[in-house]
Amino acid sequence: MTDFDPGDYEISELGPAIKDIDDLGELEEILQAEHRGQNRAPAVALIESRIEKFSEDDEEPADADELDLASMSTAEIGNILQNVEEVSELESLLEREEAGENRDPVTRLISNRIDSVKGSDEEDTEVEVDDRPPEERHPDLDHPTRDKRHVRSLHGGTYRDMWVYCETQAGELVDVSKEMLGKARELMDAYNDDYGVSEQGSEASETESRADDERVVAVLIGSDVSKHVEDVIACGADVVVVREDARLERFQHKPYTEIFCDMARAGATHQNFEVEGGRDESWRDYDKPRYVLFPATNNGRDLSALVQAELDSGLASDCSGLYITEEVISNPVKTGVAGEKKEFQRVLHMKRPDFSGFEYSTILCIDNPTREFHPQGASVIPGSFDLPEPDTEREGLVVEHDAPLDDDWFRVTVTDFDRLDEGIDLTGHEVIVAVGRGIGDDPTKGIELALDLADQFEDADVGVTRGIVTGSFNFDGHVEQYTHEDRQIGETGQVVAPKLYVAAGISGAVQHKVGMDESDTIVAVNTDPDARIGDFSDYFIEGDLFEVLPRLTSALKEGRFEAAVASDGGRAASTPPAGTPDAGAGAAADERGESR
Amino acid sequence: MHMVVLTKGVPDFREGQVSFDEDGHLERGKTPTVMNPNDRFALEAALQTRVRHGGRVSVMSMGPPGYKEVLREAMETVYADDLHLVSDREMAAADTWATAITLSAGIETLGEPDVVFAGFKTADGETGHTGPQTNWCLDMSLVTHVISLDIDEEAGTLRAKRLVEGDIEEIETVETELPAFVVADPEFEPSYRTAGERLTLKDLREETRARAENYEEHLTVRDHADINVDPDYIGLDGSPTIVSSVDPIPKAPAEREATMVDPDDAGAMQDVLTAMQSAVGDGDGGDAAAAGGD
Repeated sequence: MTDFDPGDYEISELGPAIKDIDDLGELEEILQAEHRGQNRAPAVALIESRIEKFSEDDEEPADADELDLASMSTAEIGNILQNVEEVSELESLLEREEAGENRDPVTRLISNRIDSVKGSDEEDTEVEVDDRPPEERHPDLDHPTRDKRHVRSLHGGTYRDMWVYCETQAGELVDVSKEMLGKARELMDAYNDDYGVSEQGSEASETESRADDERVVAVLIGSDVSKHVEDVIACGADVVVVREDARLERFQHKPYTEIFCDMARAGATHQNFEVEGGRDESWRDYDKPRYVLFPATNNGRDLSALVQAELDSGLASDCSGLYITEEVISNPVKTGVAGEKKEFQRVLHMKRPDFSGFEYSTILCIDNPTREFHPQGASVIPGSFDLPEPDTEREGLVVEHDAPLDDDWFRVTVTDFDRLDEGIDLTGHEVIVAVGRGIGDDPTKGIELALDLADQFEDADVGVTRGIVTGSFNFDGHVEQYTHEDRQIGETGQVVAPKLYVAAGISGAVQHKVGMDESDTIVAVNTDPDARIGDFSDYFIEGDLFEVLPRLTSALKEGRFEAAVASDGGRAASTPPAGTPDAGAGAAADERGESR
Repeated sequence: MHMVVLTKGVPDFREGQVSFDEDGHLERGKTPTVMNPNDRFALEAALQTRVRHGGRVSVMSMGPPGYKEVLREAMETVYADDLHLVSDREMAAADTWATAITLSAGIETLGEPDVVFAGFKTADGETGHTGPQTNWCLDMSLVTHVISLDIDEEAGTLRAKRLVEGDIEEIETVETELPAFVVADPEFEPSYRTAGERLTLKDLREETRARAENYEEHLTVRDHADINVDPDYIGLDGSPTIVSSVDPIPKAPAEREATMVDPDDAGAMQDVLTAMQSAVGDGDGGDAAAAGGD
């Protein structure tokens, strides 16, 4: 009998919590407990996927030569590799992967496995880290990399605190800045509970913060940002580092990066693994932050990349989940010893929906033995975390940054800026017609058909799935505007609840579901009768949207269906005349502007 | 004017190429490698510059030998003069920082270009970091999310409009001096204002057609020694980040009992139609407020 109660965990915590449970029976019990308790759908799905994973693990090891790599996911390949012991087999797998899909995570996995197998064969031979300088190891090169000003590597450094870049726009804190502060507060409170007490050796009281607690440090950069100091403290910051200068009114890549990094290193220079110089700042005593968070906005994402480059570290972008825990790593590049596993503590796990929209990747930023990759960095998708309830009683330290700004940083000048109209708001409409990857055969036509259908209603608009926004579809100019992020429905887009929701060519991923499942009536159109969208639809029309949507459109025009069907032979007959601007009514048409 | 355009090969994720296995994992089987769709905008920006100001366009990619085809595709799009593939097993499994170090070293072997162009985000999960990070090494003037571009060759200046997002959307106009590094936004629109420009474009197209047929004659492949980078700083060894796991996104549990409808069954379709009409209601005002939940 397990004493693990899934009810004790939020959904976001449950994944990491059950990740070390590998007993099928125990997992089944946990599943039952969830069913008896809150019976939360995502929790059930999570536990089930864990069970599924272990059921798979029991399968016979596969013969490497017969593996069809192309048809397997990275995770599956990873599992199977654990049973392959022959270097030659692994090398042939690597070649096949490189010749075929050439997925980076897969080539890494196979390379790691090769190193790990080789390592255990070689045993007593060279398993130590080769810490000779690159000049000695690679005499054939004249080694520019090491001298390059951009590799500011550090070894033996100290790292503390979680830094959060708080972006402002038009004088206001962007919401995602507060969302990140709330999340950072939560993460560091848990962090201090997990790691703080044992370090200090004595239990501290619950409410008093301990002297060695690691903090949430907010960074504000701009021309008029100190007015946000109280806000960011109320949202969870312990320290706010502020830089104000008239030249910083608009975001500029170079000065913002230089300032952030100067704050992060307290003015020190890191070169060739050593620290040089730096200011004595009484509030801190470390070389670089342990973690950094940035908003995944256009400017925030750019800044995250540049800061992490300058600080010689790594990051995961567009994350929707974050947690801190230990991780056992066998990659010899990270452990320094082939064939041995090493546990890394306090690792920020950065979970992001994959490019495909079908998988989550968890990214880790891990030190190499002689080159430490800190801070561990992430950019966060706006809306991923809740806005925190501001606590106006909270107190925090304000630190003003006043290191000199170099004129050369201001090579790019902003000469003008215009605010665009408010983004598309899909939430107030009576009807939403949404399309997904099912429009792939003729993407432009697919959008046109959705617009035609939406035109039949007084108050309707068109939305798309993440797959459309991130996919590589080629849309003609006149419909392209309907395919952008501002019309995305789902977890990382808008959440709508219209009276009628038409889901055409949408398979029904859970992230899409959360964006629309409160709709009153849901009609799905899909060629695949097993598509998950059926599980949360009222009607499921099993057919090709290129045929079904025009039928619905003309039936709505006629007011009834029979007549429309009688005159319809299918796709050809239902194609509206090309080049005819839609004379539709309502909001949908208004927003279309000068299309075609 | 010497321009360098960075591009990357990615799996083609369009509908029809994508399928799932029984466990809900994405099957990447037989997915062809194509040029990253967002790189098209970088290529368009370079082409516009080339048409207006003349000069030479080089296209560079880092990847396995199979990426030659991607470079050919890029040549056809941008009418490039020469192609450069940086390729080496030492470079495998690089994350964005290791890639940026490699690409910046690669670009430096081509001399000192006036403008480097990169796309924003690739379709295979890489995330808009490579362009800015590559430029952090090159230390040119960086302009990102560019939607339109004007270069004054005589003055040596570049003017661009760029897209800023957040709680509000803004378009900024920025000015800088060459050399510059331009990251093109997917909203980038090239413009050819004069008949002369359009004619030049047409000529270039003809010229490239012949060149693309023998594209390998215009292709240089370089390994880490050729671009003089230390293997410790590239590929897996030089990558701060690793992917620790890939999980299928959990499936949504069933919540509604869907009525299955055959689109050729007029009666059943009439039922759907009726349901759609009554959902919207016939002028009873209804409360669209239910939709305001966000």
